Amino acid sequence: MEEGLATGQDQVYASGHRERSIAGRKILFDASGFLLNADDWSEELAEILARENGMGPLDDSRWKVVHFLRDYYRRCGRPPSNHELKEGTGFSLMILESLFPGGVRGTARLLAGLPNPRTCL
Amino acid sequence: MKKVVLTINGIQRQFHVDSDRVLLDLLREDLRQTGTKQSCDRKGQCGACTVIVNGKTVRSCITKAEKLDGANVITIEGLGTPQNPHLIQEAFVLAGAVQCGFCIPGMIMAAKALLDRNINPAREEIKKALQRNFCRCTGYVKIIDAVVLAGRFLRGEVTPDQVRPTSGEGHIGISLPRPTSMVKACGVAEFTADIFLQGALELAAVRSPHNHALIKSIDTSLAEKMPGVVGVITAKDIKGTNRLKMIVDDQPLLCDRKVFVMGNPVAAVVADTKKQALAAAKMVRVEYELLAEMKKPEEAMAPGAPQIHEGRANVCLCLPQVKGDAEKALASSHAVVEADFSTQLIHQSPLEPEAAIAYLESGGDDAKLVVIGRGINIHQSKMVLQDALGWDNIRYEEAFAGGQFGIKLDITAEGLAAAAALHFKRPVRYICSLEESMWISTKRHPVTMKVRLGADRLGKLTAYCIDFIMENGAFTSVGYAILLRCLQMLSGGYNIPNVKAEGKLVYTNNAWGGAARGAGPPQTNFALESAMTMLAMKLGMDPLEFRLLNSLKIGETTSTGQVVEEWPFPGCLEAIRPHYERAKKECSTFPQGRIRRGVGVAGGAFGIGPAGPGDKANIAVELNPDGGLTVYGGVADPGEGNDSMLTQIAAHAMGIPMEKVRLVIRDTDRTPYSGSASGSRVTYMCGNALLSAIDLLKRAMSEAKATSYDQLVAAGKPTRYQGTKVQMTTPLDPKTGQGVPYESRVFGVQLAEVEIDTETGEVKILKMTAVVDVGKVIHPQNVEGQIEGGLDMGAGMALREQYVHGVTKDYIQTRFPTMGTSFETEIIILETPRKKGPLGAVGVGEFVLLPTNAAIADAICDATGVRIRHLPARPERVLAALAGGRA
Repeated sequence: MEEGLATGQDQVYASGHRERSIAGRKILFDASGFLLNADDWSEELAEILARENGMGPLDDSRWKVVHFLRDYYRRCGRPPSNHELKEGTGFSLMILESLFPGGVRGTARLLAGLPNPRTCL
Repeated sequence: MKKVVLTINGIQRQFHVDSDRVLLDLLREDLRQTGTKQSCDRKGQCGACTVIVNGKTVRSCITKAEKLDGANVITIEGLGTPQNPHLIQEAFVLAGAVQCGFCIPGMIMAAKALLDRNINPAREEIKKALQRNFCRCTGYVKIIDAVVLAGRFLRGEVTPDQVRPTSGEGHIGISLPRPTSMVKACGVAEFTADIFLQGALELAAVRSPHNHALIKSIDTSLAEKMPGVVGVITAKDIKGTNRLKMIVDDQPLLCDRKVFVMGNPVAAVVADTKKQALAAAKMVRVEYELLAEMKKPEEAMAPGAPQIHEGRANVCLCLPQVKGDAEKALASSHAVVEADFSTQLIHQSPLEPEAAIAYLESGGDDAKLVVIGRGINIHQSKMVLQDALGWDNIRYEEAFAGGQFGIKLDITAEGLAAAAALHFKRPVRYICSLEESMWISTKRHPVTMKVRLGADRLGKLTAYCIDFIMENGAFTSVGYAILLRCLQMLSGGYNIPNVKAEGKLVYTNNAWGGAARGAGPPQTNFALESAMTMLAMKLGMDPLEFRLLNSLKIGETTSTGQVVEEWPFPGCLEAIRPHYERAKKECSTFPQGRIRRGVGVAGGAFGIGPAGPGDKANIAVELNPDGGLTVYGGVADPGEGNDSMLTQIAAHAMGIPMEKVRLVIRDTDRTPYSGSASGSRVTYMCGNALLSAIDLLKRAMSEAKATSYDQLVAAGKPTRYQGTKVQMTTPLDPKTGQGVPYESRVFGVQLAEVEIDTETGEVKILKMTAVVDVGKVIHPQNVEGQIEGGLDMGAGMALREQYVHGVTKDYIQTRFPTMGTSFETEIIILETPRKKGPLGAVGVGEFVLLPTNAAIADAICDATGVRIRHLPARPERVLAALAGGRA
């Protein structure tokens, strides 16, 4: 994690969830780093998470993907398929994957505050 | 080869058969009549393949085709169709006998043969006639009810229309026929192995014979030259992580460096036929370097024990719980009991063997991989496969699933089928044998527990200490969550002011645990409830009164420190009291000779939802042009009745007939995330999300002053709305295990009445009485069915079932429950509305397992004076205990 982005000490829970103090707020993440509560998402948080994932400030292309993901999830309750993402953003798969170091699933969804379907029991 | 001519369902057909072909092959393979099922590896054990030949039931899996020349065969397809069902099929649907439905065609055929010769059979005659037909879901109660009802239909005493409830009577609290029960009863519901896939290759896995070994080399060259073989894949062919990650990434899809327990896959062969694939799999040469096996937790925990997984300690999770000062409280307690307990490894035994099919729907770099399996969290299954295979464009579809009880949370056959379909770009079927299914699916974790429980002079609980070791087995699956759930529900229904606990999860080279009905608490609740009765006896108190005295009350706290706002547990104890007193009285007058009778009671409280916070369900609804409603949700229904729940709540909330509610629930492309069908969460989470979605739709209609689809569209409003339910809970503190893990719970108490033969050690359950407070009943038959099936499964855990990896291979060895082991049940439903439940309801399916084993152990103790602390209480253990040995 880049120094100075998060303040205070993270609280790690028995379930692997992590509570972090970020920009003056306490925010809960799951064990894979996905946001637990969608209401905690903000553009500021997305920028912070992007920097933690080794990215610079999010440019227009990346914001386009992040906003499309959020809008799609709000409408459909699930992330878009590759096909839908390509159509919705106008980017090829290769470009989409190159925009985020962990790809769309690993990083873009995380920055967009989409929940992790990996819920247990 | 021999020519045989048979009449099948009134149509004469000829076949040319080899001596190894059985009737089941002709039906399923040649005629594609897949209503007749296959489950027990053609051992004639389970009855799922039952058909009628020349008027008598036969198990078609062991009936040689060459001996059937001239035979008259009737299969489930010959009885009726969903549009024109046979009266027996109607009876099974209306009696609520159809849960997962996998056993039902065989049951119906056995019932038909019985009713053809005896149109008015007594219940005992029904049990005898159907004793070779197995069911894991129902506990057989409603199946027997169905045959009785079928007899009434056939005798003309009553008609289906006179029995069938209608929407006119309302939609809540009424057993309207389940939307999928008739297709299951007619044998046309397609389970994965029933799905025809044009040109599909068949897959066979090469599996390790060793429990712990390094893979030195894999030589596939001989196998690749075998007839019909298309190819062989190994770990190097997997482009993704090659890990089936549920919580941690310790389980390879195909083992690359090491194998961790017998049965781990090292290669997959695909060929034109299954026979060819199996033959070629035997020709794959794998060189292993054997490593020390650690088959028990104590071996894995021993100083210097080698790590089973590199970079992970064998004790892979250790969690405490601390509330107050338990040691101090125990030291000053008036009475303390101390004992050790253990529960066993159990295979959940859904009747449907593991199965998957996979194919590419389109071409190119972005082709869609379609995977059809039996997963109960379809979006999670998709994501696990995406990661493992390195292929993003996947659609996961849930076929009809033949029972699950937890094991279908994990990926099994889907992984290899999908990997092979992707690699060879051909459709692939992977239908596992029962034995293989046992190797590759998760089990109920075995747990050893040491407990101390104390009370003061007045009988009020003072403190509870428990140290427990949960054997993880070779992989974690959801083991972290299982251990956590034990802590979350540790104090059961009681107010225990001081608690000290430590749970350890330990890797071994054994079958691995995972989700299993109740998922942890059935094990730890056994220790708590057993200790409760032991302490009551020590104090000279009645076990039921002792429980009432110590029941948690509103405003008090659970072991996690959660202040409870609703706690109907005392009502459950009060409701069982007259039954308990009746049973005690009857027992006291029974002459206690060789055969002894006893009565036991135990309770439980079960939290609704997952082990951690963040549980969320999305459900979408769409108003249809005809005024109907389509409900979209990734809501698996492996038999519990989630289809009923969604349909009836939607019809109720919209004020439309049930027939106008359409469900889209099995496909990741068309559904929102709704979470898993586990943790008894679906009614609570998805029911709430559904009500929320309907509320949004109705608000939009109100704003638009629209009363129809056309008016809503004309007003420019969307017709589709999505509702979400988020459970507001907190994680447990890692040092104290304190937190707020659940919004709501289901409660209950069970009473066991048993008879013990002191010379053989046999325990016979005479009756189980179950009180369950479910909040609000949506579908009475479904609730009863879950409880009856759960009691049967709990009794199996208490008395019979135990899985030994590599030894247990079939249903006889698992000691599968039968009509012969079934028992009388009485279900008492209480409805204390839950503030946050949909219409006040909560789920019920998993809870039932919590009290059963302890109630039965209590009853054995009541009868004999000997407390069984180590399950299962098989006759040899009971006899040893009676002789003063390990109990």
